[in-house]
Amino acid sequence: MFSHIYIEEQVREHPRTRAICARFPKAAHITCRHYGEVFNPRSQNFRLQKPRPALILARKHKRRVLPTPDGYGIGGSRNYYFSHMLNCLYDCRYCFLQGMYRSAHYVLFVNYEDFESDMDCILAENSNAPAWFFSGYDCDSLALEPVSGFAAHFLPFFEKRPDACIELRSKSTQVRGLLKREPLANAVIAFSFTPEEIYQALEHKVPAIDRRLDAMAQLQEAGWSLGLRFDPLIYVEGYREQYRRLFQQTFSRLDAARLHSVSLGPFRLPRTFYKTIVQLYPDEPLYAGPLADTQGMVSYRAGLENELTGFCTEELLKHVPEALLFPCQVAA
Amino acid sequence: MLCLIVALPAEARPLAGHYKLRDKSASGPFSVFRNDTMALAVSGIGKLAAAAATAYLHGRLHRDGPAAWLNIGIAGHASRTLGDGVIAHRITDHASGQNWYPPQVLGLDLATDNLLTVDSPQLDYRDDLMYDMEASGFYQTACRCTTAELVQCFKVISDNRDQPATAVTANDCADLISSCLDRIDRVVDTLQSCAQQLAAAHAPSPELEQLTRHWHFTASQTHRLTELVRRWKTLAPDQPVWCSELKSQQRAGEVLLWMEQRLHTLPVKLC
Repeated sequence: MFSHIYIEEQVREHPRTRAICARFPKAAHITCRHYGEVFNPRSQNFRLQKPRPALILARKHKRRVLPTPDGYGIGGSRNYYFSHMLNCLYDCRYCFLQGMYRSAHYVLFVNYEDFESDMDCILAENSNAPAWFFSGYDCDSLALEPVSGFAAHFLPFFEKRPDACIELRSKSTQVRGLLKREPLANAVIAFSFTPEEIYQALEHKVPAIDRRLDAMAQLQEAGWSLGLRFDPLIYVEGYREQYRRLFQQTFSRLDAARLHSVSLGPFRLPRTFYKTIVQLYPDEPLYAGPLADTQGMVSYRAGLENELTGFCTEELLKHVPEALLFPCQVAA
Repeated sequence: MLCLIVALPAEARPLAGHYKLRDKSASGPFSVFRNDTMALAVSGIGKLAAAAATAYLHGRLHRDGPAAWLNIGIAGHASRTLGDGVIAHRITDHASGQNWYPPQVLGLDLATDNLLTVDSPQLDYRDDLMYDMEASGFYQTACRCTTAELVQCFKVISDNRDQPATAVTANDCADLISSCLDRIDRVVDTLQSCAQQLAAAHAPSPELEQLTRHWHFTASQTHRLTELVRRWKTLAPDQPVWCSELKSQQRAGEVLLWMEQRLHTLPVKLC
């Protein structure tokens, strides 16, 4: 999988580093002082790197657990996000990561214990309301599980902290580890979907919708709380029929009454990310569509975004009660 | 265009012969050889010379489109076998301690190793890595000219602890480069293919040139026009931008408005 693994000097002897390197005996190991030396240089091309990214093993020193933007959440009042990894195995053409990062290499922060420490500090600050911790912002939470052991490590942490809730957001079918253990009441496994036609066109390397729904059905059968994330909503000709079919397909496979939450979110990118992505993929129809730049945020024209969100909300309410539906209303 | 930087005439000879490069030195500060798709400059020894030759070649050729850059040369190594061809995956400048990491994402399937650029020939081979005298100067300069994935260093091991550098002659040097031409070909082909892929994505637009010849656009209008032409060609590749309705517009502002209105009506299909 990896021909080259970059290793920060300070984590060279970390047990997680050793275990990961042992999985890739043929990979060249390259020591660096700080992952930024490899990941941050300006003169890099995300598109050229994406077919064969390297792995970078590093330590995250600060800003490990951060508050989510206002409007982001699934019912909790205290919401945080954290990223044990930068960059995703998948290659979705709408993804902001390709506009945010110069490099497509995967950066895996091996100091999980420091993340846990920070979470404990947050929990100690205010024990009156549960805190939500969202994983899957800078990466897919489960896609690299056999290598990272991320869920295997963090779920026991949350098992001992009933006032802390975790969402693992993913497009992966790597659920074996979850099925082998007892489900946690304070964990939501959330899967993202777009309609089949959009999936085919934009979600490169992502498992098929059917396979993801199968994985979800197995998890639901085993007692896990599941979330559905229709995010981002993508406008195409014929979107109504496509989303209608997606929702029918999804809810014919899953028991809506046993879902934790359903959320949807509009397609949005900061202007600088949009410009970078258009430079990388000038021929991508997604970025030739009816987009508008409003106060530094590129999204569908206001009327169109409302139409798309409104339609999808209306369709989803045919399948799930309103109490389960959380539209993402992140301020621009 | 693929640009090669070598330090020595002995390194250049087999490459110029293999790729049929003709002498285009003219009266410039560096010997330059080229064909339609490749150029080679002989820099002389040292990282400063390599940096200067890189900048010089870029200046001469930048109009030919996005370039890929390849430094080819001999290098010492404590333990590797003479004749080994190795790509540098980390370049360290000995004097400054600065590191660079040429991205290894092109699927070259060649050995890679650390490379230390020194200011004078090293004969003690203290560390188990490659030693050269040009790469750090070449690499940081070439990265100003193109994206880092298209800048690589290929070194042929010419000396090691058992057979130190003092024994290497010009003929040895040429022979060593010749022995690695098959691997060099692989690197060259891959770099050229990637550079072409990038060039194709950013090819100048004849439609844009046609429009800007017909009407006067301000700088900001040209920026808007470029974006509108890109969107048009993506959403409606079979519909020429240059049509009678467009031609009837009087001013640049009207052209932009017409195109925006027309784009609003085009269906968005992702496949």
